[in-house]
Amino acid sequence: MRKTLTYRINIFLFLLPALFLFVSVLIAPIAMSTYYSFFNWNGLKTPEFIGIKNYVELFTSKSISFIPALKNSLLLAFLSVFIQLPFSLWLALKLSKRIRGERAFISIYFMPVLISTVVIGQLWLKIYNPDYGVLNVALRAIGLESWTRPWLGDKQVALGAAFVPTLWQYVGYHMLLMYAGVKSVPPELLEAGVLDGCTEGQLNRHIIIPYIKPILRVSVIFAVTGSLKSFDLIYVLTNGGPVHATEVPSTLMLNLLFLRNRYGMGSTIAVMLILLCFAFALLINLAFKEEKPV
Amino acid sequence: MMTAKEKKSPGQLRFRSGGRKSFSNILVYGVLILWALLCLFPVYWMITFSLKDNAEIFGENVIGLPRHWLWSNYARAMTLGQMGRYFLNSFLVAVISIVITLTASCMATYAMTRLVWKGRDRMNKFFMLGLTIPIHAAIVPLYVVLGKAHLLNSLAALFVPYSAFALAMGILICTGFMGDIPYDLDEAAFLDGCGVWGIFFKVIVPLMVPAVATVGIYTFLQCWNELMFATVFNSSEAYKTLPVGIQGLAGQYLREWGPTGAALAIATLPTLLVYVFLSKKIQDSFIAGAVKG
Amino acid sequence: MKKVVALVLAAIMLLSLASALAEKETLTLWSIATEADANYQTYIDALKDLNAANEKYEIVMEATENEAYKTKIKAAMSAGEGLPDIFFTWSMSFLGDFVEAGRVYCLDDVLPAYKAELTDAMLANTNYDGKQYGIPLVFNVVTLFANMDLLKKAGWETAPATYDELMKCCDDLLAAGIIPFGVAGKENWCLSEYTEPLLVKTIGAKGLENCYTGVDSWNQEGVIRAMTIFTDMIQKGYFDPNASALGNEETKQNFLAGKYAFYQNGSWNCGEVAAAGENFVALPFPVIDPEKASLYEMVGGPNDSLAVTASSKNAADAAVIAMELGRAISKGGNLNGAGMPGWAVNYDTSSVNRVSNSVAEMVAQSSGMVLFGDNFLSADAANTYLDYIANLFAGNITATEFAEGLAADLQ
Repeated sequence: MRKTLTYRINIFLFLLPALFLFVSVLIAPIAMSTYYSFFNWNGLKTPEFIGIKNYVELFTSKSISFIPALKNSLLLAFLSVFIQLPFSLWLALKLSKRIRGERAFISIYFMPVLISTVVIGQLWLKIYNPDYGVLNVALRAIGLESWTRPWLGDKQVALGAAFVPTLWQYVGYHMLLMYAGVKSVPPELLEAGVLDGCTEGQLNRHIIIPYIKPILRVSVIFAVTGSLKSFDLIYVLTNGGPVHATEVPSTLMLNLLFLRNRYGMGSTIAVMLILLCFAFALLINLAFKEEKPV
Repeated sequence: MMTAKEKKSPGQLRFRSGGRKSFSNILVYGVLILWALLCLFPVYWMITFSLKDNAEIFGENVIGLPRHWLWSNYARAMTLGQMGRYFLNSFLVAVISIVITLTASCMATYAMTRLVWKGRDRMNKFFMLGLTIPIHAAIVPLYVVLGKAHLLNSLAALFVPYSAFALAMGILICTGFMGDIPYDLDEAAFLDGCGVWGIFFKVIVPLMVPAVATVGIYTFLQCWNELMFATVFNSSEAYKTLPVGIQGLAGQYLREWGPTGAALAIATLPTLLVYVFLSKKIQDSFIAGAVKG
Repeated sequence: MKKVVALVLAAIMLLSLASALAEKETLTLWSIATEADANYQTYIDALKDLNAANEKYEIVMEATENEAYKTKIKAAMSAGEGLPDIFFTWSMSFLGDFVEAGRVYCLDDVLPAYKAELTDAMLANTNYDGKQYGIPLVFNVVTLFANMDLLKKAGWETAPATYDELMKCCDDLLAAGIIPFGVAGKENWCLSEYTEPLLVKTIGAKGLENCYTGVDSWNQEGVIRAMTIFTDMIQKGYFDPNASALGNEETKQNFLAGKYAFYQNGSWNCGEVAAAGENFVALPFPVIDPEKASLYEMVGGPNDSLAVTASSKNAADAAVIAMELGRAISKGGNLNGAGMPGWAVNYDTSSVNRVSNSVAEMVAQSSGMVLFGDNFLSADAANTYLDYIANLFAGNITATEFAEGLAADLQ
């Protein structure tokens, strides 16, 4: 096509809506957050420049438990990648092998993804209720009374208890992604494998999984960045409690911003989150780089 | 290209099998069914306790079907909490976000994939950054910006950020779909005398209809659930969305599990019903978008 | 003919005058009086009366739940946009931050007309640099509620009067299979409703205030003693073992349903408690150290207030209306049993429930009050303070570590 001025203007016009939204809602606020992170500001007074003091305090202060919060979300990321994803993969592989009720299973597994996270949180709050929740009631009914406890209030199990619905909800999401990938494996490859005498397991390991590596990569990135960003369920279930046992960076950020009036510090956490997500995305991309199939 | 007859799915292949297969088969089905139950049980429990009274919920009949079906709980949920309004707000925000995201994504993707210019790949990567940026990191500056623009406490306070954050995914999906449209069609239209805009509207847009569903679903999921922005940017009753409304409701009426359950059900069932009727379509779109991405 | 024209003109003038008068301007009020709030009815009634009596203004209220309200008002103040005319606020630094930012209208001009009905003590907490910015409403104190039926089951016909008796009573309750205290472990401020009375009864109200202001160190023998008692009570099982997973609303409902013998929380609950049955009463928390504390020293004081925004277009008028509203809420809240009156009581109080009355009697005999810690301290310090209490309750730190830690972090 001709590279005239009209052409260039048109390109700009097509890009305009997306660019405008993107820059004003994502890029500019990120820049502003970075700016505020170097200040001490309570939202009302004029901000006071303090350099990198916020960053230092973030990592050294006891009253701002950032490192524990970070550890929690990294733990969640770890569990996601090494428990949730393999299970999703297993489901995807099994379901793609002409199981009876394949359609029904897929629909059922995907359902939790569509339910509002808040609804899931409130529901699990009730499930975990120490007196009337299904979990404790069931435990008592089968005689395991000693296993009952205030699930979301006991600092030792609260984190695990909060993770269960988080992991539970998105199994279906990852499963569907992977199922799509598995279904798109060219049958010639599989037939070749069968003719060579592969068992199902070998077929999975040597042909299917390598083929769907791009999808796995996407899943891993979503799982990890999702864990770092996770907010909704934790907020509803425990809001970071009991005593910060289930705190994650996002809940900490909200707490600092609106309960403790520390807008500068809140921005600092925001910047850290962005850096972390970015770093992990890069790392994961690198890890997957060698195996790009044709 | 294989004909339909020759294409086989992985499941149709025969494997060398021994007697072990039936046992492992049972095990596999067992796990599949167990997980299905685990997925369904919370929903089942929510619906049953939404129809019970406190006595049953708190002691006598925790897991079973309700003895008396208290539809009054639903009436109470509708009047107590303004579930209808929250639902409407969430719905409107989602729809408007989807429209904006689709339009902006399509246009931007068109510019980056069909029009030739230097730096279009870099622009694409720029947009892809959006996939890794956590939406909540922008909360303070966004709050200030929205405040100055007098947009707080309105639906715009939500659909503007939601659209922006859905753009990255939207562009990714559109790139995939647009890649399927042959360039010959572009050239034919060009020869017919269409300019850049003509090609866009006559060729691209009609063929992007499948993408609408995929982008729609991804954006919908993002908007429907979002809690932090919805809580902070909109606090007047008139503009609350579903997640915020439910949070407030559940917090206030903690002892009334029945109506709370009804409220949760009201929030969930419409989505589920749509899903039940359109599940194949929804899953296909989801898959299509994912594979192309 | 001329007469007709004149009449028509006069009629038109009268009509337009009437319609101009009939059009009311709106004043927006932000509050936390949602339907579940103890003062919901108070606000509704007060607004109805005020709106009927006022020809020029119509007050419209927007209520948001407590926690969300804090975010809402702070965010609005921060942006300086979308602010209401009148708003509910807590005293001390909560309002103080807004005052400092110049967002609040000074009430010194309208105050003299109402001064006779307000004491300095009630006005003190919202008075900054000698200027008045807040209007008192109802005020609250931490109250120990008891379910006498459950105490009777444990063999106590009358309530325990001394600290030792209280401990013995708890032991007896446990022996009878009844949980002595219910507490919302999930909400940190509820925990402070237990620790602060313990502190007050050990080092006195003034003593606790001195800790907040930094005059005395947190790291003192009295504090350690009081907090050791707290941890002992936890370890002996005096608190609901599931407390850490329960919120305040649930805990209160559990108490009213007869699950706990005691529940210690604010006096805004009086109406609800009284309505639950004759067996529910309010008791003073017994003294632990008689040398430093006396029986009716309490935690609480004027906190809930109304204020007017500086950006309001009708600030002066809004201020007057806010005063009237404050007085109405004080009266209504008192009569509804949702708090103690912040304004002078010059009306018939025979309809006030007996639980509120007993609390009012305690307040009348009170020799000292100290405001709730999380209101006295600034937001960030309050957060650290509440965290310490939560850690103490969870058993993560000892009483000594509590005292030393607070001294190090806050002072």
